[in-house]
Amino acid sequence: MIEYLLSILTEGAIFGIMALGLNVIWGWSGDFDLAYYGYVALGAYMTLVLTIGRQPPPAQYILGLQLPYLVALLAAVVSSAVMGLIVGLIALRHLRGIYFSIVTLGAVYVLYVMAGQYVPLFDGYNGLSGLVNPMGDALGLDFQSYQYFFLGFCAFIFILVFIFMAQVSGSRFGLALRSLREDERAAAAFGRDIYQMKLKAYVLGAAFGGLAGGLFAAYLSAFNPSAWSPIEAIVLYSAILVGGRGNIKGVVLGVAIMIVLVQESTRFLPEVPGHPTIVLALREVVIGLVLVLFLRFRPQGLLPERRYVDRLPQDHTGLGVDVPSLRGPGTSDHHSNPEQGRDQHSTHASPALPAIEAAREPTQDQPSVSTSVPAALVVEGLCKHFGGVVAVDNCSFRVPKGQVTGLIGPNGAGKSTAIDLIAGFKLSDAGTIVFEGTTIQGLPPHRISRLGLIRTFQTPREWPGLSVLENVLLARWDPKQEDLWRSLIGPGLVRHSISELELGRAREILAEFGLDKLRNERAGNLSGGQKRLVEFARIRMAEPRLVILDEPMGGVNPVLGERMVTAIEGFIAAGTSVIIVEHNLPFIERVAHHVIVMSQGSVIAAGSFESLRANQSVIDAYLGEVPYE
Amino acid sequence: MHEALLTLGFGLVAAAILALSAVAFTLEYAVTRVANLSHGEILTIGAYAAYLMHQWTGSVLLAALGAAAAGGVAALVMHTTVIDRFVRRGVGTMPTFIATLGMSFVIQNILVIIFGAANVAYTIPQGAPQQVGPFLWTPAEGEIILSALGITTVLYVIITYTKFGKALRAVSQNRDLARVSGINARLVATATWFLAGLVAGYAGFILAESVGTFNPYFGFSFFLITLTAAVAGGLGKPFSTLAGAIIVGIALEFTGGYISASYELAFAFAILATIILVRPRGLFTNARRTIFE
Repeated sequence: MIEYLLSILTEGAIFGIMALGLNVIWGWSGDFDLAYYGYVALGAYMTLVLTIGRQPPPAQYILGLQLPYLVALLAAVVSSAVMGLIVGLIALRHLRGIYFSIVTLGAVYVLYVMAGQYVPLFDGYNGLSGLVNPMGDALGLDFQSYQYFFLGFCAFIFILVFIFMAQVSGSRFGLALRSLREDERAAAAFGRDIYQMKLKAYVLGAAFGGLAGGLFAAYLSAFNPSAWSPIEAIVLYSAILVGGRGNIKGVVLGVAIMIVLVQESTRFLPEVPGHPTIVLALREVVIGLVLVLFLRFRPQGLLPERRYVDRLPQDHTGLGVDVPSLRGPGTSDHHSNPEQGRDQHSTHASPALPAIEAAREPTQDQPSVSTSVPAALVVEGLCKHFGGVVAVDNCSFRVPKGQVTGLIGPNGAGKSTAIDLIAGFKLSDAGTIVFEGTTIQGLPPHRISRLGLIRTFQTPREWPGLSVLENVLLARWDPKQEDLWRSLIGPGLVRHSISELELGRAREILAEFGLDKLRNERAGNLSGGQKRLVEFARIRMAEPRLVILDEPMGGVNPVLGERMVTAIEGFIAAGTSVIIVEHNLPFIERVAHHVIVMSQGSVIAAGSFESLRANQSVIDAYLGEVPYE
Repeated sequence: MHEALLTLGFGLVAAAILALSAVAFTLEYAVTRVANLSHGEILTIGAYAAYLMHQWTGSVLLAALGAAAAGGVAALVMHTTVIDRFVRRGVGTMPTFIATLGMSFVIQNILVIIFGAANVAYTIPQGAPQQVGPFLWTPAEGEIILSALGITTVLYVIITYTKFGKALRAVSQNRDLARVSGINARLVATATWFLAGLVAGYAGFILAESVGTFNPYFGFSFFLITLTAAVAGGLGKPFSTLAGAIIVGIALEFTGGYISASYELAFAFAILATIILVRPRGLFTNARRTIFE
């Protein structure tokens, strides 16, 4: 009985490590990886070929060394991480969703077939055996005490892994990783290098798979193709799902339920004479059914992922709290982007807090493009076609710095495509895009975002599973705080990985947009208008040099519209140039200093709203015969 | 040259089976946007049904019909009990995709409980190989190819010329738009899954017949090749999938024939990975794009 208990607990610890590793990939990064059990298997195989030495023919396999177990375990971790890196480099670059899953399924089957068929690798279907009580001899343990020792060893590693995961979970890296899971486009728009971050998470997960595999090999003392199947990952998925995807305590609970309990209970079922596989098959049926039922009825699991809950001190009133801007003490209109070292740029920023009305005065009398104001963005000869459809055709325009530029035009004029091209979400066929002196065409979205050009989306792209406050906090991309390795040595609670300064700033912004009561709410639960406000709040937090707002007034009521006008004034006051794509012309007339009209892929007119109202081609293309009143 | 032609002949047999399985899979995808990971189990169920029917009646024709019927019912049950509930709930592609993997696991193990995990030998007299043009086929293989041609022709007519086919295409383009245009999308999806199930069940029968042995996991390993063919052609597009299946079927027969059959799965995935990386939307679509396009 005690032996049985020991083995169940050891197995639980090993599967716990496995599930925690997979949770990084699926729980946080959001990728349904079917190759994961391959990393476990590779870890097990590698541990064996590094410890069992040469065995007499016909057994044949690579290496055949007799290294100490701990060294082999480390090598197992490294080899699984390397395989994870190779698979990740291929699968994560362009593929998401089911295509990613299909390629990872392919990868693990290639490993499975190679391990089974290519005998010189891991002795084919015979597999490897002979790792008996590693470390036991050196410690002089007999069989009985060795079981206690090995349980202790696995439990110790499990606890270390759990602490590591708690650290990652609470770090800024972990939070940013979850934002990729929630909405990749928005994450890229706010500076996250999604490929690199997903790859890091993937390799990290694979490494833990290898670690668990190395322990598993010692537990089984042998490993062969009948000991595993690529589809066994499904057991881990069901454990994570039942416990709570993304919540490390939930994952452990899930392993306890699905692997320890379900496994245990099946051992008490009576053996069916003549059908030894029935009990095992029944267990698998239960696991599969539980997976389907939880996906349908409780996808968040028994212990749902926790969002950071911000509790305010009692005296906090929300509005008007004097919190210094994150850009630096006292200079709210100056930028200090650490990566770009643009401090010298900030000296020419617009005058302190120019009200929008003041700023628009000089341009209103100038019908032509205001050449006196330096340009924030210059687009020249931009082209993009989709098959035979020319979406953007030799489009050129100039966006003055420190002002609001309206971009209008009929549906299908190419406005949205132009934004996608500027922000790097689509690749242009021809043309140049220069943002504050830097040529940006061809750069990926996160690089453009880091230069200080941030876009919003036609339909709000909040990170639905994160809180409103987390949404706002994540708008600021900070390479130092978000570094994976740095986050491991830092404080491991989200609460502590946020500085008082940025927390204060985020609270202040949320109060400004009337979202302070909703700050701990799941962003996905907000109304459409509130989601718009969250987008605006994120822009405030990010403090970009130029923001492109894609139809911000879409589906927004008049009261909310007023808030947006104020917000746009706030952007200008903070030194952010603004481009607004909009069909709501009264709104454009009210806020824009300068308007660009696009039709059929190119710019047909530019100037003040007044001057365009008299422009015949603008009337023909967009305003219609009856001039807008 | 002669050997190459022989291989091509066997490749066509493999391609015919693969084509039926892949077209059924792609039809399921077309109307629900779900890549059904339990598709292989429809083939397995078809194989068991054919085997039982054959034992019971002794008729190959009844075995084939039984396989198709069982496959149709299996697909219908999958769609009504799981897929449709997920789709209507709007939970998104991934949860439904994961659920189909769970379903595959459940069905495999139910089959283990009923029939045991051991291989079932299923041999139908193949007849003597005959020269058909440049190829060497047994009468059974000839029947496989003819029936595959017949079934794809019927599918082509249904999809292209019937009202149901028009509705099917509409639902596969845009389910919501189809619904507001007065199409009962749910009914169309259910009927399409049933149709796909009939085809897949029959494919299970001819696969079992040509392999000669099967077990509860038999459909899943063939499904991996099906997936390659469907993705190669373009998910959700029946006729491109057909072309993809023929290419993949022949390619696999050549790699299997000339290198080693035991690596077939690995080859299938090497092909798949290459296609997916170079042409994520299938061989017959154009343009590389950024991940956001």
